Amino acid sequence: MKQDYFTYTDGLFDRSKISEKPEALKGIRVLDLTHIIFGSVISKWLALFGAEVIKVEEPYEGDAWRMASYWAKYWKDSSPFFQCLHPNKQFVGIDLKTPKGKELVLELAQKADVVVENFRAGLTEAWGIGYTTISKINPKVIYVSCSGYGQWGPLRFFPSWDLIAQSMSGVAQLTGFGEKQTYKLPDYYGDFMPGIFGAMGALGALNQREKTGKGQFIDVSQVEVLFRMMHHWSYMDVTGEDLPCTGNVDPTMAPSGIFKTQDEQFISIAIATDEQFTALLKAMDRMDLSQDPRFRETFERLKPDRADAICEIVEAWVKKKQGSDIIALAQEWGFPAAPVMDDLQIANDEWRRERGSVVEFEDDMYGKGTWPGTAAALEKTPGRIKSLQRPIGYHNHYVLQKVLNLSKEQIRELEKNHVIGYWGNSIGQRPPAYYDMSKDPIVNFTEGEEK
Amino acid sequence: MKAEKGKDQVFSRHLTGKSASEHLSNFNKLLAGLMGSSEGKPEVLDDTTVIEISHANFPALISASILGEFGAEVIKVEPPDGDPARKVSHYGINVEGIGIPFLMESRNKQHITLDLKTGKGIENLKKLITQSDIVIDGMKPGFLDSLGVGYQQCAELKPGLVYLAVSPYGHFASKGKAFSNIPDTDLTAQSEAGYPALIGNPEAPEPYNYPVKAGVWAASYMSAALAVSGALTALFYKRRTGEGQMVDIASYDAISSWQGYSTIWGANFRMPRARVGNFDWSIFPYGYYEAKDGFVTIAAGSDQDFRGLLKIFKRWDLEEDWEFVFDRITDDVDKLKELETEFKKEIVQHTRKELVQKTLAYSQKAARDKLRGKGFPIAVETLTPKEVLNEEHWKVRKSFVEADAGGTKIKMPSPAPKLSDTPLRLKKIECGLGAHNKQVYKKFGLNE
Repeated sequence: MKQDYFTYTDGLFDRSKISEKPEALKGIRVLDLTHIIFGSVISKWLALFGAEVIKVEEPYEGDAWRMASYWAKYWKDSSPFFQCLHPNKQFVGIDLKTPKGKELVLELAQKADVVVENFRAGLTEAWGIGYTTISKINPKVIYVSCSGYGQWGPLRFFPSWDLIAQSMSGVAQLTGFGEKQTYKLPDYYGDFMPGIFGAMGALGALNQREKTGKGQFIDVSQVEVLFRMMHHWSYMDVTGEDLPCTGNVDPTMAPSGIFKTQDEQFISIAIATDEQFTALLKAMDRMDLSQDPRFRETFERLKPDRADAICEIVEAWVKKKQGSDIIALAQEWGFPAAPVMDDLQIANDEWRRERGSVVEFEDDMYGKGTWPGTAAALEKTPGRIKSLQRPIGYHNHYVLQKVLNLSKEQIRELEKNHVIGYWGNSIGQRPPAYYDMSKDPIVNFTEGEEK
Repeated sequence: MKAEKGKDQVFSRHLTGKSASEHLSNFNKLLAGLMGSSEGKPEVLDDTTVIEISHANFPALISASILGEFGAEVIKVEPPDGDPARKVSHYGINVEGIGIPFLMESRNKQHITLDLKTGKGIENLKKLITQSDIVIDGMKPGFLDSLGVGYQQCAELKPGLVYLAVSPYGHFASKGKAFSNIPDTDLTAQSEAGYPALIGNPEAPEPYNYPVKAGVWAASYMSAALAVSGALTALFYKRRTGEGQMVDIASYDAISSWQGYSTIWGANFRMPRARVGNFDWSIFPYGYYEAKDGFVTIAAGSDQDFRGLLKIFKRWDLEEDWEFVFDRITDDVDKLKELETEFKKEIVQHTRKELVQKTLAYSQKAARDKLRGKGFPIAVETLTPKEVLNEEHWKVRKSFVEADAGGTKIKMPSPAPKLSDTPLRLKKIECGLGAHNKQVYKKFGLNE
């Protein structure tokens, strides 16, 4: 007898076997010159799938995001919101302002497959560690520059953050109920979304390099990525009108909305097709509406007055139902509905643990914690968390010996001349108070003395 | 954005001075040449054939579109009556029976029809699969398997195949099975990912106090980008080892798993976040404010940035009470509102342009300060999409294209990001139902 499909797939993605499986990007070295979120999540993807990522920070300063935490709350002197961006990375502290520091970064770049940076546009060029310099010493390099508006064009130097990019792309005006009740896309969507597009670009270039051996330059603009996901340009072009803010209604689906149930739960329902509409009507026991000329056909049903009318009918129905009943009916009949989940439900969701998108991980330095895992499940080369953040410069000895073949003496010299350096004592930078650095095998790394 | 004298306005002292300016000006020209055109350049996936089988599933449909931009030969397989995604349209507005979302994401695809209810249809699909490199399964989980063309069978038909499954709850794990019958939409995907629970103002009158969805397809597009990244990761592994594999994306978990902050908050605080309207959980000010003539966006996160803003507004009196980041967080929203009220009073006295110019002028000067202690407050106009199109920068970069959609020219966003040697391209939109039956049937030896 044929195996049940989900028994088969559960076997393919069995999380207990992950540590035995290979990593897709093993052998790829990434020089990570990023900070805050946008660039950092590009190298996060690469690190999760096996690349060796070396993050360079300014000694005693480091990534400004190290101390950024929601409600200014910290976990073992670190920001968990910084932690989750930096799994599996190696942390070196190099002072780029010193000529020798710049030299070290260039030497690392020479041995890297990918360089990712998200300084203000033009800064790495001005510092002599930009694409024009590095591509000369390493023609195989894939150089990913991340910025608000891209590296060329009149607006290139204009400042950007997630929210500024949302504003400069037009996304800012689209969420909520109109001008005075407009909301931003939270949790730095304007960084995470361009970040995953940047990773996509880097992965495309890595594929190309397998064929040709050649690297290339990638210009990721936050704003252009946000453009790419907006229907508004075509809509304005076709209709000559603006596509306004529509609250909880998706104007491409009718009915659609976020509704309140009898037990005061919020659930969303959105109907994209005639087939789904029939399923909903069956679930509502309202098949009489299926012959209503206002609703029978998708294009007709989507017209504003009709969409409003059917939304009202659905709203009244939901009000008399329990949230869990509606989800059960959605599964039974096959229409799109989902509860509006909250943070706590997500963190405790068993399904997300099974998928590996929420993981329990025990780190050598920080101990046990719950973290966002991988957002894509790969059967044979699953992504995985192997370590959490480390203090600035924690991997100095390790990386400089392993990658640049420097001797202990040469490294001591660099320390003495303040070319390389370490963490400061501020929150987000320092290691957890209980941790004994003097016994740490990486921070005190000596080649040849490995276990 | 040019400063008055026509010189570039820069915000770092490293970008000033003659040699830096010259180098950056040359770099700008170099890139304009290097990135400005795709003519004669190769494509990453010119050796890759993608079969898209999806049903009212935009995350799957968009991922195929992006793989098409990377140069893959993408064949979208539809039933004889078409993918109902064709009719997903704003207010029912369509171009010859096709909604804008489907038009926009038919980039470089070929559209064929196969009736998978017949033996001949299945045989033809198998022929396609044996000649492909990536199969995108955007059907109900288990459906293709039940037809004998699921991953298990595909992997035998075509060793080394990358099988990209894109569905609401995924093709494995508890909810994958329990909710396999629930179809995808962007709104329901946002909800299951907890996104609307973070948006909105709980103090507004009902129903404006409800959780609010993102006004763009935040979940569908993020799912698609994750799917493409997953497929390209698997394809890279295949190039090195010859081994294919299955990649699984749950669109209902895309935002929550990639942004990840909900997990961290829930796990550490053991409670859900309350919605905080225009505030942010770690930065103030970081939101939209009403100026004299419209809305501006103001971001001034660090203590230095904040002090900069106080100087611009000449409100140093606020400094003592709100000096540190820790004073300006939303754990006490009512208290923060006092500060916001003071800010709003100042902001509304200026026009949008004045606010932009004042902050930029301040920040430009502050950036030259060696100790970098003066901060970098930013204000920009909160643009509408229509206003965005006036910006010269996007014309220079060709960030929008007039795509030829069956004889009609339609404005669309260009592919992103920009790659120098293998640029992503929007070559054609030809999405009539079965428009490519003839060529594809012939090329792949399918039975009519």
